[in-house]
Amino acid sequence: MAEEFVLDIKNLAVHYETEDADVHAVNGIDIVIGKKRTLGLVGETGAGKTTTALSILNLVPNPPGVIKSGEIYLEGKDVLKMTPTELEKMRGNDVAMIFQDPMTALNPVMTVGDQIGESIAIHQNLSKKDAFEKAKEMLKMVGIAESRAYDYPHQFSGGMKQRVVIAIALACSPQLLIADEPTTALDVTIQAQVLELMKQLIREKEMSMLLITHDLGVVAEVCEDVAVMYAGRIVEKGTADDVFNHMRHPYTEGLFDSLPNLKERGEELVPIKGLMPDPSDLPPGCAFAPRCPYATEACSQAVPELTAVDGSKTHFVACSAYRNPEFSLRGNKDGR
Amino acid sequence: MAQPKEIKNQYKKRTLFQETWRRLVKNRGAMLGLGFLVLLILAAALSPVLFNYEVDVIGQNMQERLMAPCGAHWFGTDEYGRDLFARVIYGARYSLIIGVGSVLLGLVVGTILGSQAGFHGGVTDSIIMRGIDIFYSIPNIMTAVVIVSLLGPSTVNLMIALAFSCASSFARIVRASVMTIRDQEYVESSYAMGLPTWKIIVKHILPNCLSPIIVQITLLIGTTIISASSLSFLGIGVPAPAPEWGALLSAGRGHIRDASYMCIIPGLAIMFTVLALNLLGDGLRDALDPKLKK
Repeated sequence: MAEEFVLDIKNLAVHYETEDADVHAVNGIDIVIGKKRTLGLVGETGAGKTTTALSILNLVPNPPGVIKSGEIYLEGKDVLKMTPTELEKMRGNDVAMIFQDPMTALNPVMTVGDQIGESIAIHQNLSKKDAFEKAKEMLKMVGIAESRAYDYPHQFSGGMKQRVVIAIALACSPQLLIADEPTTALDVTIQAQVLELMKQLIREKEMSMLLITHDLGVVAEVCEDVAVMYAGRIVEKGTADDVFNHMRHPYTEGLFDSLPNLKERGEELVPIKGLMPDPSDLPPGCAFAPRCPYATEACSQAVPELTAVDGSKTHFVACSAYRNPEFSLRGNKDGR
Repeated sequence: MAQPKEIKNQYKKRTLFQETWRRLVKNRGAMLGLGFLVLLILAAALSPVLFNYEVDVIGQNMQERLMAPCGAHWFGTDEYGRDLFARVIYGARYSLIIGVGSVLLGLVVGTILGSQAGFHGGVTDSIIMRGIDIFYSIPNIMTAVVIVSLLGPSTVNLMIALAFSCASSFARIVRASVMTIRDQEYVESSYAMGLPTWKIIVKHILPNCLSPIIVQITLLIGTTIISASSLSFLGIGVPAPAPEWGALLSAGRGHIRDASYMCIIPGLAIMFTVLALNLLGDGLRDALDPKLKK
């Protein structure tokens, strides 16, 4: 079974140890991404999404970041046990990352073509000139005229810069693409274009993708699988259909309730009350319990395990309320 | 599909160099400084052709000693009857070579130290920077005097001595810039692309620190020329009879009442050169600062 997965994260825990506090950013998560699958990792700011992504590349800044436990298998090899040389070979070639803000993700003093060519030259042992030619092809692939390879990043608009960033990431045809909020810094029309482009390229190149976002609309558009993260733990995961149409976790419900309803525009938004707990001082038991409308005393006693939703092979939820077979979220009274 | 070609023509492409030059040309002071420096460099380069070193520069002629500036000797003559014009022009070679040489030497050493300190931080940073702080706390001239007296007076040793203080200035500037650039997202993204660390420093971090370095180079050349002259003035710089400007000043000191031109002219030479370098440095700083773009 294990070989079918491009990425297999087991029980990953990452802490940031500073002088004042020990911040528990990621607390034992398991994620698998199959070949040619796209997983959306959803959660609010500070839930540990980016830390998870950086762990996959073994790029968690150390100090203060410490990977406490876990194994991250990339096509069967544990990233956390790789030597520096192996890591350099893996980064960019097997896994590539798209960063959040295209404005700062490009080096202002290098031409765009050189920047795309750089990773090609390293991973495919090409001369600078051949790499530049390939860089031009990549630019064309993301819909930018080849002649612009000689331009500097400041001569591009935000959407075009993100296309360039995508071209850099895809230059070596990696198996796995990590996109860390790739559209957050872009306006909505450009967002749609960039997402469409990414979807199309991933299909063409038969890659897998880990899409990190807090935008449920983006997930719905692009992802096949969804994992919802809260305070460093995964609270619910499943296929997009499982999570969007048959949500089980109160937090997931809260996320959807806080979206505007297009059909009934007059309706008030229902925010989730309270704030995310301080990750350096997590409550015992379920981290969502203090904000959860369904919480009982039992919730703050033990951390709920991810368990399969009855009969489903894909849909998992971590909520102790389901020990009571009668329990269902108010939003879907039919019990699904 | 003729469209891409037209698009290409819409853009006026300028490299960073062209962009900086365009803005530098608009700065009158900087152009004045640059003009003076170009003249000086030309004069220094051509001086072996214009003058015969043995005859015109160091050859003594007692009949013509201490002549005030006149048609035959534009800058007058010194106490051994040597033509001051030839000596000042020839002296530009020493000042420029020492200035540029020690700054470049200091640049290489300082950049290596500063980038290591700034990039790695922590213990590396503490060790390198505290060492440099110690050097900084001793007056430049003192350090230079000690080094020259250890190595013996010669042009090369003078350069090495002055390079020490240049290196510490460069190390500080490079460290500060590297520390800000190190945390930029494009550096993180080059890690994610699998670039080795040294390549990230050389190709992504240092080129982005270039503008403060360029400015510092021009300003430091000026300071170094003054330091070199001071050392020669004190008699531990370029050995006599070489016409270093500081040495010329020193020689004129005894005649400051009867032949003041012997001090004034080399003094002016030093002053104008340093002024030109500072004007150019200020102009470059403005031209390289993207926030001042008009």
